[in-house]
Formats: sequence, C-alpha cells, structure tokens
Amino acid sequence: MKWFNKLSIGKRLNISFVAVISLAIIFTGFFTFNRSYDTIDTIVEDSSKEINKQIILNYENYFNDVRNLANYIESETEKHDLNDSEILEALYVDYARLNTDTITISLLDMDGMVLVSSQSSSLQSMYLKQRDWFQNAVLNDGIYYFSPPHYQDIFQSSSEMVISVSKVIDYTSNGISYQGVMLLDLSTDKIEVLAKQTNLGDDGYMIIISDTGQLVYSSNESCLDPSCESVKWVQDTIIGSDYITLDGADLYGNINTIHGTRWRIATFVDVNIIDATRTNMIVSLIGVLAATVVASTITAYVLTRQITLPLQKLTAHMQEIETHENFHQKVSIEGQKEVVILAHAYNQMTEEIKGLMDRLVTEQKEKRKTEFIALQAQINPHFLYNTLDSIVWLSEQKRNEDVIQMVIALSRFFRVAISRGKTIIPIEKEIEHAKNYLLIQKIRYSDKFNFEFEIDEEVYQYSVVKLILQPILENAIQHGISAEFDGYIEIRLLLKNDSVVFEVENNGYGLTQNQINEIYLMIENDHKQSVGLRNVYQRLKLYYGNEANLEISSVVDENTVIRITIPKQEVTK
Amino acid sequence: MKYLLIIINLLLLVGCSKNVETIPLVIYDYEDLYMQDFRTLIVDNISGDYQFASYDSKNSQVIQNEIIESVLNNTYPLLVVNPVDRLGVYPIIEKAKSVNTPIIFINREPLKEDLDLWEHVYYVGAKAEQSASIQAEIVTELFGGNPSNLNQYDLNQDNKIQAIILKGEPGHQDAEIRTEAVVEYIEDLGFTLDVLTIQEAYFSQTIAEEEMQNVIDDFGTQFEVIISNNDAMAIGAINTLKENDYFVDTNENGIINRETEPWIPVIGIDGLPPAINLIEQGYLYGTVINDSAAMAQAINELTYSIINNLPLTDLTYPLIDETYIWIDYKKYTPE
Repeated sequence: MKWFNKLSIGKRLNISFVAVISLAIIFTGFFTFNRSYDTIDTIVEDSSKEINKQIILNYENYFNDVRNLANYIESETEKHDLNDSEILEALYVDYARLNTDTITISLLDMDGMVLVSSQSSSLQSMYLKQRDWFQNAVLNDGIYYFSPPHYQDIFQSSSEMVISVSKVIDYTSNGISYQGVMLLDLSTDKIEVLAKQTNLGDDGYMIIISDTGQLVYSSNESCLDPSCESVKWVQDTIIGSDYITLDGADLYGNINTIHGTRWRIATFVDVNIIDATRTNMIVSLIGVLAATVVASTITAYVLTRQITLPLQKLTAHMQEIETHENFHQKVSIEGQKEVVILAHAYNQMTEEIKGLMDRLVTEQKEKRKTEFIALQAQINPHFLYNTLDSIVWLSEQKRNEDVIQMVIALSRFFRVAISRGKTIIPIEKEIEHAKNYLLIQKIRYSDKFNFEFEIDEEVYQYSVVKLILQPILENAIQHGISAEFDGYIEIRLLLKNDSVVFEVENNGYGLTQNQINEIYLMIENDHKQSVGLRNVYQRLKLYYGNEANLEISSVVDENTVIRITIPKQEVTK
Repeated sequence: MKYLLIIINLLLLVGCSKNVETIPLVIYDYEDLYMQDFRTLIVDNISGDYQFASYDSKNSQVIQNEIIESVLNNTYPLLVVNPVDRLGVYPIIEKAKSVNTPIIFINREPLKEDLDLWEHVYYVGAKAEQSASIQAEIVTELFGGNPSNLNQYDLNQDNKIQAIILKGEPGHQDAEIRTEAVVEYIEDLGFTLDVLTIQEAYFSQTIAEEEMQNVIDDFGTQFEVIISNNDAMAIGAINTLKENDYFVDTNENGIINRETEPWIPVIGIDGLPPAINLIEQGYLYGTVINDSAAMAQAINELTYSIINNLPLTDLTYPLIDETYIWIDYKKYTPE
C-alpha cells in the first residue's frame, strides 16, 4: 500500500470511491445474478404452467359451454314428447345453427336408431350402436363422453372431422319415458382456434390426447400420429411437468387434464428461452453495472476534483515558490471554506517570508560591505610602517636613488590601493599595484628575489576586486625567500573559459599536501594565522560568491602556486 | 449457549425418532361447507401415529394435479384425495401407481374403470341412489305414506305431489343421480309425483335463493314440497320462502310450530349443522344425513391399516370388491 500513500489526495479519493462503489456493485450484481439465475428456471416453469393453465381454462370454458348446451337440450328433450318430434327437431336445428361449432344435434334410441336430428340429410344405414361414442355413453351413465376426432360418417352428405359428445338421457314417447343417447357433433375447428389463441412461444406446441391414448389435437406438424415422441412422453409421464428433449429440442412439458372430458393436454415450451433470458439478463446486468460504475466514477471524480482542485492549485503555487523563489505571486483560490482559509493564510505567510527575506538580504549586504571594508582596511598599516622604515634606512645609507624609487612606488601603490574608495578596479591597476609592491619589497630585501609577470593582454578589459594579489605576493615573499637561494616569483594572468586566472608561483621549500589542507582550513575559518590569504579568500567569496576560487598547489623543494579564479567582469567606464 | 444447542438437538432427535407419518389430504375446495365439516372430522379422528396435511385444490383440477404431482414426489405412504373432476382421476391413479403410493378417494366417486386400473386405490363414500331413496321415503311419509290417500299436505287434494326439485350442478354425478332417483323412488312407492320444475342451483345456497324466487314468481302456491339435492340449496330456498311469507313465525319465538304457523316442507340432503338447526326450528322439514362422521372413521381406519400393512378384512365398515367402503345415509326428520 506504500504506492497508495504516495498518491495525491484526489487520486486516493478517486481510487477509494471507485473501488468501494465497484465492489459494492459487483457484489450486488453477483448476488442478484446468482439469485435470479435460479429463479429464471422457476419463472420459466411457472410461466409455462401458467400458460398451460390458461389453455386449459380456455378449453374448459368451451367444453362447459358445450355441456351447458347439452344440459339444456337434455332438459328440453325431457320436456317434449316425441309425438311432436317436429318441435324437438326445430329446437335441435335452432341450437345447432346458433352454436356454429355444433354441427349436428341428434337423439338416438338404445338400439342406435336416430330419433331426432338437426340434420335432415339421409342417414347412413349402419349400426351406430357399435360406435365408441355410443358405447361409452351407455357404459358410464350420467357422464358426457368426448370422443377423439373422427369423420362424421352418420350422414351421407358430411365428411367433416368432428368430436362427438354423447350422453344417455331420458326422453318420452307417447307419454312413456325411455332412455336414449344424445349426440352432439362438434367441429374440430374450435379446438384449433383455441390452440392458436395461446402463446406458447416460437417453438412451443401443444397436443391433446384422449384417455385411450388417441391424438385429439396437435399443433405440432411433426407430431400428427400417436406414435410420435411427444405423445409417448405424455403417456409415460401421465401428468405433471418436466424438462425433456424431444426430437432434439429442449422443452419444458406440462401435462394436465381437461375437466370433464377425460382428455389430457400437454403444452411444450422451448426452454432455449431460458438461456436467452439468462443472456439477456447478464447483458443488461453488466450494462447497468457498467453504467453505474461509470456514473459513480464520474461523480467521484467531479466531487474529488471540487475538493482537490484548490489544493492542487495551492500545491502548484507552493512548488512555483520552491523552484523559482517567486514570492511576489499571490494565490487566488475559490472553493471550500477550509481551502480558502488555507490559501489566505498561505498568502500572508509568503508575504511575511518575502519581507523577512528582503530584510535579510539588505542586512546581509550591509554586513558584507562592512566586513569587506574592514578586510580591505586590514591590508595596509604594517606594510606602510615597514616601507617607511625601509625608506628611513635607505636614506641613512644615502641610497637616494632607491629612496626615490621606493617613494614613487609607494605613492603609486597607495593610489591604486585607495582608488578613490572603489572596490573594483581594472585588472591593469591591480597589476600596477602588485608591481609597485614587488618593487618596494625588492628594494627592501636588497634584491634577494626576482619576479616576472606573464600576462595575457586580453585580461585588461576585465576588472577585479582590488588588492587581491598583494597579500599573496606578501606570502610568496615571506615563504619563498631564504638565505640559501635567490627567490623567484612569477605572476601569470590568463583567461580560461569565463574566468580570469591569477597565478602566483614562487620557488622555495614548498608545501606538503597536509600543510595545504591546513591552510585551506585556516582561510575558510577565522584563524589568527595566514591572515593575508584568508583576507583575500574571504573577500573573493564575499564579492563573487562561489564563482571565485583560491587554490594552492605545491611541489616540495620546488615551488608553490597559488591560483585565484574569478569570473570575467568587464571594466565599466 | 452450548447447552441450549444440545437441548435443541435432543429435541430434534426426539422429533425425528417419533417419526409420525404424514398423509396428504387433498380437498377439492375449502369453500365447500360440507367439505369443511368433513375435513375437520377426518383430521380430528386420526386413529394412530400419523397426521393429515390438508391441501386446497381451490376447485381446480389443474391445481389438484400440481398438488398430487408434488406430494407424489415426496413419497408419502398414502394419499387421501377428494377429486375435483371425477373423470380426471385416471391420470392420478396411473401416476400413483408408477410411484407405488396407494390412494383413498373420498366424496366424489371415480369411474369404476379408473378404480380398476390399480389394486391399491380405494373409495370411501355413500351411494347417491341411497340418499335419493331415503329422501323419497321422507317425502312419502310426509304425505301420509298411503299413495291412494294423501294427507293434508296435498294442498290441492288432487292426490298428486306437486314438487319443485332443486338440482345441483348439471352433469354432477350426485345431482344427476339424486334428481333422477328421487323421482323414481317416489313413483316406485306408488305415489304420483308432479314435478313442476327442476331448478338448477349448482349446489349453491345463493343461487338457490335466486332460483327459488323465480319458482315463487312462476308457480305461486302450486307447489307442495321442495326437494333439494343438498342442504345448502334447501337453506337458500328457505331464506327466500321466509321472505315471501311461506314461513311465518307469528308468535316470534324463533320456532315454526307446524300445527299453528304457516310453513311448507323443504327436504335436503347432507345433514349440515345449520340444516339440523333449521330442522329443530321447524323450517327445514327433513334431511338425509350423509354420515360424515362414519366416513371419517372409515377413512381413518383404512388409512391406519394401509400404512401399517394390516389386512383390510377386519374393518368396521367392510371393504367391498377390495375397493369400496359404502357408508349408509341416514334419515333425519323431526319426531
């Protein structure tokens, strides 16, 4: 989680929000899906059963109507003596006409002879007693028998497919009550019409079979025979519902009885819709979840942006100050109260810092100036006393030439040294000053040393902090002159890239690296020794900062070189 | 907590070890007043270590089929079924046969050919004809019992019985048989029955109330007796007759005195408690008690014997043809 702690508030908020919301949504989605995955089966089963019920209800309503009609005809038949068979016949004709599905209404005696019929066409002369509708009606007195569809063959003129509804009823002939068989032949059309009213889906279908296993109706063209798979399944399953595969199709079958008919109806619903429903559900679920995640991400982003944008501005502003030390800009931030207060406080703070820094800079400048002047002032007195002592001594020796030279040199020396109070002088002047100093010293030390200047003339166009060579030369004379050999001092000025380099080399015993390090240590700190070098070094640092440098190199018993590097600064006129 | 769990477990174990068999009792319709009574009698008179779980088919064979399918999947030792559609019983029998679960049918008699499909199906009920014959007996006794000389209840003194018949649901076995048979039995006893009209009131009290009004409008005072296929319709008829002052409780004592107050004979079948009440109050003349208590006892006895694999030969109510137990109807009239 380390990486997370390193992120900005905005990102952390965003990631947290989105993570929490996504997790919640994914969990919800997962559970919803899991639960609905199972319930889809139930839904399919339930809806299939519901469809089955609806179909049955349709058929039962229809057969109820048929029975009601038959009941009515039965009671009418009982009321009218067959003496007046014309009245009954007219009644039968009327009812057959009123009920378009009822093709014929007939009354037969127990020998199977037609007594009354709504159809007047000539009868087939055959033993109707042998017909199953006749026999079944007689077998179960009091109930209606519904036959499987068959060709209506009791009338010569007809070749329609009919369903026969028959029942034993009473009739009176010449005042005597007899039993007979009432027969209603129904058109099979209605069965088909009702089947088509139902919605079993694209690949769904239904079949109706009689108690004897005969196919009454099938809406499936590949199952028009009792030997087809669907009928076999119905015969095996008897009643109830189950998933089955018939002729390669996955189906949910549902078998029920149709009230009062001894028929069973089986509906088959294609269960591939389950998969389709599932796919639909997954797609819509994922869609909804994705949309929710996107919406919540956007909301989270907008919200966190509102919170963090002012903070980001503030941060950017702070970084600006950090890198460019630009204290002049103010932050103007609008947004949450807290951030505005923060920004306001921050503005006040930078202002204060700015003030403090300005004061510090001024104070530092003042301090450096004072220090600088003080350092500069340290150079002269003892040299002047020594020189003046030397002049006295030369005068006593009557070395007038030398006195003159020395006084002139001293005068030039001081002219440069004073330089009308300037701190920066052209390099040419500094060299002049150095030469005069060396001249004076050479006379004082009775030519115990020689010196030489090697100058790249181009350096003359640049200026330098005054009086930096003299203390080094003083040092060179002090350490480079001995009784054993003649001293030699070489001063070199050259340009190197953007710098002017002063080198003062003297022969002598030289210095070890340890000694050099010691000297570095002394000049960098306030130390009583090496006053001259330190003075130069500190003035260089005060004036040029890190751009200036002082280096010491030496070869023991050979020479010592002190190198001063300063940045090029052109002479101002 | 631990102890509590142990106790619960022990209780569960005890519950399991007791192993009370549950027998599904599938009723055709809880709304049916007679079946409400009958069901209570069956459930309250269990004769052994079993219990009934009742189901309501809501007068729908489809719902009943669903119930049967689900209970047959649960391997109960026996089912007791009051079929919705007596013609739709054969698939139930075949289905039960396929999982070897015996069935006792009650209240509605399945076709014999269906009961013959399997040996382990039974029917406990009463013969509808018998109710008609007893009803015929009540009617003829009311009119003096002598066909050649009817008593004072032959209002028009024509020596014929002018009757209104309230018929149950047409096509219903009981309705058909009771209607047909009561006429036959009365005539067999030598009486001349003049059926003014047969009103179909579907075994329903409210429909009977309406139909009775039509009868009154059509026939006024011509009818001498109302013969109903069941008590519910008889009660409905009495309600309408009261409104039309065929019954007048002149002294307002809540009881019709047949000697002093106007009344008209109404005869039902079933012996429902409200019908018995009405007999006590003098409104309903008589009823044929469908002996539900005896049937409930027979059902429980048969149930106990079947689930305990006892021989079915020593039952209080004998098993006929290894299938039927017939319970006799009883006459109920005021003394």
